[in-house]
Amino acid sequence: MILALTFHIPGALREFTAGHSTVEIEQSGATLTDALTALWAIYPGVRDRVLTEQGQVRQHINIFIGNENIRYIGGLASPVAAGSEISIVPAVSGGWCERVGLISNMGR
Amino acid sequence: MIGQEIGHYRIVSKIGEGGMGVVYRAYDELLHRDVAVKVVNKDARLDPSASQNLLHEARASSSLAHPNICTIHDAGETDGELYIVMELVEGKSLYSMSAVVGLPAESVLRYGVQIASALARAHDRGIVHRDLKTANIVVTSEGLVKVLDFGLAKQIGSGIFEGPTRSFATVQDTAGVSGTLPYMAPEILRGEVADYRSDLWALGVVLYEAASGRLPFEGRTGFEISSAIMREIPIPLGPPVPPGLWAIIQRCLAKEPTQRYQRAGEVQAALEAVQSGAIVSADPAADLHPDVSPPKTTTLHSVRHAHVKKGDFLLLVGTTKGAFILRSNAQRRRWEVGGPYFHGHNVYAMAYDGRAGQHRIWVSTQSYWGTLLRSSDDFGKSWTNPQQAPIRFPSDTGVSLKNIWQITPGRAEEHNVIYCGVEPAALFESRDAGETWSLVRGLFDHPHRPRWMPGNGGLALHTIVLDPANKQRMYVAISSGGVYRTNDGGGTWTAQNQGIRCTFTPDKYPEFGQCVHKIAMHPDRPERLFLQNHWGLYRSDDCAENWTDIANGVPSDFGFAVVMHPKNPDCVYIVPVESDEFRCACDGRLRVYRTRNSGASWEPLMRGLPQKRAYETVLRDAMTADAFDPAGVYFGTRSGQLFGSCDEGRTWQKILEGLPSVVCVRSAVVEGAGGSLAMPKARPTNPSRTKSRSTNKSRRTNR
Repeated sequence: MILALTFHIPGALREFTAGHSTVEIEQSGATLTDALTALWAIYPGVRDRVLTEQGQVRQHINIFIGNENIRYIGGLASPVAAGSEISIVPAVSGGWCERVGLISNMGR
Repeated sequence: MIGQEIGHYRIVSKIGEGGMGVVYRAYDELLHRDVAVKVVNKDARLDPSASQNLLHEARASSSLAHPNICTIHDAGETDGELYIVMELVEGKSLYSMSAVVGLPAESVLRYGVQIASALARAHDRGIVHRDLKTANIVVTSEGLVKVLDFGLAKQIGSGIFEGPTRSFATVQDTAGVSGTLPYMAPEILRGEVADYRSDLWALGVVLYEAASGRLPFEGRTGFEISSAIMREIPIPLGPPVPPGLWAIIQRCLAKEPTQRYQRAGEVQAALEAVQSGAIVSADPAADLHPDVSPPKTTTLHSVRHAHVKKGDFLLLVGTTKGAFILRSNAQRRRWEVGGPYFHGHNVYAMAYDGRAGQHRIWVSTQSYWGTLLRSSDDFGKSWTNPQQAPIRFPSDTGVSLKNIWQITPGRAEEHNVIYCGVEPAALFESRDAGETWSLVRGLFDHPHRPRWMPGNGGLALHTIVLDPANKQRMYVAISSGGVYRTNDGGGTWTAQNQGIRCTFTPDKYPEFGQCVHKIAMHPDRPERLFLQNHWGLYRSDDCAENWTDIANGVPSDFGFAVVMHPKNPDCVYIVPVESDEFRCACDGRLRVYRTRNSGASWEPLMRGLPQKRAYETVLRDAMTADAFDPAGVYFGTRSGQLFGSCDEGRTWQKILEGLPSVVCVRSAVVEGAGGSLAMPKARPTNPSRTKSRSTNKSRRTNR
């Protein structure tokens, strides 16, 4: 299956996406890992900012598929439907609860 | 009015006048402070209910205690005149500051974060500004933003208070529409109710105006402006406005509220993210070839740089919010400050590498986005930003890098060797001048490692000491693991903690597990080491085989930093703190202690240091010395003060204050830098490095 996906890239990482705030990719596969692997293939600098060297999502980085935080829907194995919008968002910086609450409202 | 009293406010002078009222400087006789009093003209003809609403709103807004909101202290009515008492803010309006050409992106981000933060607080309290514009945002001389007139627009339109006025008046109609036309969101023009997302639209207009000096939606008439707001897309802002900032502005200016950021906190986070990324300007060519990544040239906007030249003296200061580079000369009296670099990142380790004619500054940066080792060959004007983190644990370890605590260039003759001590505790080594790194397995696979325990700051290998005479010997210190030594170049390691007391285990003298805070060695006496422990001050005279207590006459043997005098191997500096529980200078007196007899006795050094209520902490890497004669000693505190002595500690001066918490201070004399451009001299031949720099890494350069 070929999926068209849109990644929303936070400002801090656009240095590694040629300045693009959104990146659209088409890739085969159905999980977030597949989608991210396709993203790294184009923009390899993004990988180490989002994942640790052991392949886990960094503690204070959130990834959303649509409005869902992947931590609650299967992590990197979360299914990604065609047309999904995937957002990479830094989670907190002080005022933890407040910001987490805000992030959870980040819909589009 | 001058000299009269309104309530307990004595009117001192007139500050400004707007269409519907006058602003006075006044003195609060009750609380003895200067305030601003805004008196609404009787002619404003507010009906009684509107007056009551204004008072109500003003009182509601007075609950907004936030550093970026001009606080409303009081509101009331006297002799039929309505008055509002507020914080007296002195500064320039963002409107006047951003006229014509706009502000540097760095300033726009800095102010934008503060404005968004103010909005976030107000929105959390259910208060919408409704008339946010550059004219009611004031920046003080310290760079602090104050947003004026929260919540007042709905009742009266804040134009009554304005000093500067645009050619477009603040409007208010009977339907309750209020605001200033060029800042009004489309939904307001459609007659819908303004909510907090209308403030975010206005924030977008403010950011656009601040960045470019012009409004995003312009026109000769109100109709033209309204039409532009409803239908047109603003002219894109290209360099020097970084794409990240432009993207934020665009999202604030989405015509549909649902397409905008939904909370001011999101705008703040986005602005901070652009800030912390040191602000990117993409290579335009990359847009045409999106598979060519990353951009070759990126720019640091508006970060102040020190202009370093040959013979200059540098202090490298790492803080919990970025790095600073201070430049002086051999006199060490006047300082030029460069930075902050790596806005918002933890910078635990910095190092200067002047071997083999280079002058490279190394720095570790830690943020949400991970931990990186970076370097600059031009004193901070450009930094490497490697695509792949150069220091990483191999996959079979299952361990992820948390932080880099120490960067130690190798021995003078091994000019391609560098070591890094990291958290979780491990040692990394590079033999190609930092191009590639490998985990020192001999230490990582040590059978003690599973039993090392994290200290207060984490489980970190924070100190690396090289024996200059014996290339096979080096020492590391781990909190909490203790001192380890190798005699075979890192292949095997032994715990060297004999005589070091451990207060937090039943066995007071265990083989390992001590929480060592720092060790130091003088190159002329490599067999001798000094050690500051988590309780305990020690010396070893036999390559760390045995340790002897030398806390003779110090007010506390708890502390962090230990620094050798550069020339005298019997002279050591420490800064004791009171206790484990109270890690502050003893009795609130900031004193450096010095021994000149290898620890037989210690003397306090305090001239020029605060001796009252100075509850300061000097962390393990926040002190250093220089090699001048007489020697200089420098330290930074957790409260962000930087002190220095250029007479070996006899007298001290405050070099800087107001820094973020200082975690690292290093010094260097610049040899061989060429002129104010400060370009490096020829580096040691290393083709792989050169190649890699151009292909593997994105390099920040100055345009």
